Amino acid sequence: MKVPFPLLEVEELRVSFFTPDLVVPAVEGVTFSIARGQTLALVGESGSGKSVTAYSILRLIQPPGRMTGGRILLRSARVGDIDIAKLEDDSDRLFEVRGGLISMIFQEPMTALSPVHTIGSQIAEAILLHRPIGKTVARELTLEMLDKVGIAPATRCYEQYPHELSGGMRQRVVIAMALVCRPELLIADEPTTALDVTIQAQILGLIKTLQREIGCSVLLITHDFGVVAQMADEVAVMQRGKIVERGEVRAVLKNPQHAYTRALLDALSSRRHPA
Amino acid sequence: MNEPGAIPAAAPLLSVRGLCKHFPVLSRGFRRPSSEWVKAVDNVNFDIAQGETLGLVGESGCGKTTTARCALRAIDPTAGEVFFRLPDGRVVDLARLSAGELKPVRRHVQMIFQDPVSSLNPRMTVRDIVGEPLVIHGLARGDELETRVAEVLARVGLKPEHRTRYPHAFSGGQRQRIGIARAIIMRPSLIVCDEATSALDVSVQAQVLDLLKELQREFRLTYLFVAHNLDVVRNFCDRVAVMRKGRIVELAPTPQIFAAPQHAYTRILLSAVPSPDPDVKMNFNVGEELAKLDAAE
Ligand SMILES: Nc1ncnc2c1ncn2[C@@H]1O[C@H](COP(=O)(O)OP(=O)(O)O)[C@@H](O)[C@H]1O
Ligand SMILES: Nc1ncnc2c1ncn2[C@@H]1O[C@H](COP(=O)(O)OP(=O)(O)O)[C@@H](O)[C@H]1O
Ligand SMILES: [Mg+2]
Ligand SMILES: [Mg+2]
Repeated sequence: MKVPFPLLEVEELRVSFFTPDLVVPAVEGVTFSIARGQTLALVGESGSGKSVTAYSILRLIQPPGRMTGGRILLRSARVGDIDIAKLEDDSDRLFEVRGGLISMIFQEPMTALSPVHTIGSQIAEAILLHRPIGKTVARELTLEMLDKVGIAPATRCYEQYPHELSGGMRQRVVIAMALVCRPELLIADEPTTALDVTIQAQILGLIKTLQREIGCSVLLITHDFGVVAQMADEVAVMQRGKIVERGEVRAVLKNPQHAYTRALLDALSSRRHPA
Repeated sequence: MNEPGAIPAAAPLLSVRGLCKHFPVLSRGFRRPSSEWVKAVDNVNFDIAQGETLGLVGESGCGKTTTARCALRAIDPTAGEVFFRLPDGRVVDLARLSAGELKPVRRHVQMIFQDPVSSLNPRMTVRDIVGEPLVIHGLARGDELETRVAEVLARVGLKPEHRTRYPHAFSGGQRQRIGIARAIIMRPSLIVCDEATSALDVSVQAQVLDLLKELQREFRLTYLFVAHNLDVVRNFCDRVAVMRKGRIVELAPTPQIFAAPQHAYTRILLSAVPSPDPDVKMNFNVGEELAKLDAAE
């Protein structure tokens, strides 16, 4: 799938886990690209390798896991082309990529939040890490961002700790933190899986709105074809470490070519329509 | 009605009337003698016919689990009645039975949880887990226990050699089968499934739901099926009760709930479900609509 103006091109990505007695291949030659300003959904059942793929893009795979091959080309408008796969572990470039050019949000918002710091200080800190500005400006940007993600009053939330908020509100905070530096790519790993449908709808709406405003691309990881249909431009279906089908969302959902995609969609529709 | 005695066959298996459960509001971890209460369940009424599946849906915290636990008398309701028809035709009010009277009744009502295994002792084998209810109720031991465990495992699609294994080694779908085996070994008439398939992948979920349907036909089971996911109840339940803030706002046959929802809340809930058809747009604006609904109340 070659897209016209790619922001990210992942080619032949391979990741394995080297446990004492066996090697577990988790991602086996995955290739996809994401166009500027567009959303690619990576969909598949649990264990298919979606999160490992996402973590690889930010070079967050920890031992015993290791990337064993592939290219992760970020065609940044700000700093030019970077092969993330080739960056040194502690390099400034990798630091700039993480949280500056690419941000990530997780299913469990506490993955990204510290329980012992106020929400405001954590978002302000994220800005100060990546932008040469003073504390007062960081505070203003933080309040503005909290307001944008629909937390009112922002001044109150600034002083609160994560445990004082509901799961849905925490996910809003995490979105604020991820987007405050205006990344070129947002990776969202099952951001609404743990939430009720009404909260999910609001969070998905928020991601859509802010994506349009910032102009970033989104890699949306989900196991729900409903979320794919409503959010994405393109979709890649993952099964056991491989992408088995990919294409434009409408084409894939209305006319799936691969047996696995059809099976997943059938399981979903058997739920919806009496046999 | 809570007098023992035969009742007509058309009478419901379970009949819940005016059920309430209030919890004291805890402030800073201390249980103060305060006058503030959370009305987790607030005057809930429903019937379930023999062999029927009633869905209980709503967002987290709306009171589904508390309703189910009160209905099975796992916890004591604050008020209300729970009429349950025993296999011999007698009707008892579960809400009023003493502990001694409850014990023989409990075998007829079983519960299946989201992860039936995680709350159990990790050193119990599958055989221990599935056979435990029979042991507790003194219904089988020795060879008979072994035989019944083997039978029920086979029935839910597990292998005989699984008996001696530990459950954490199993996949989510297999763990759910262990939970189902533990429930049906008692030959209950009513099973409450509390988010039983919520954590499973769609394809595994479909297999578990198929199994539950088969078992229902085979053993004339009645289900109270608790779920926060509307999609799941759609093809599984005969009727659906939609719960919000401790109350049932709408209860109707499943096709009607989905095709012609009467209550504004049901409509909002349905509109928020992302459809896998890209031409059917979901409603991203539910936040404002819910706020309006709250303001109108
Ligand atoms: N820490 C780990 N150790 C060993 N294997 C792992 C580890 N993390 C992931 N894996 C392997 O990678 C596969 C893909 O995992 P993951 O990307 O988390 O799946 P998904 O996000 O699609 O549910 C898993 O099936 C597992 O075999
Ligand atoms: N043991 C308890 N003590 C205090 N409050 C409780 C207790 N159990 C449940 N609640 C409260 O009752 C409400 C309903 O909870 P629950 O029945 O678990 O909802 P659901 O199953 O629909 O998610 C919630 O507000 C919850 O916090
Ligand atoms: Mg994952
Ligand atoms: Mg519950």
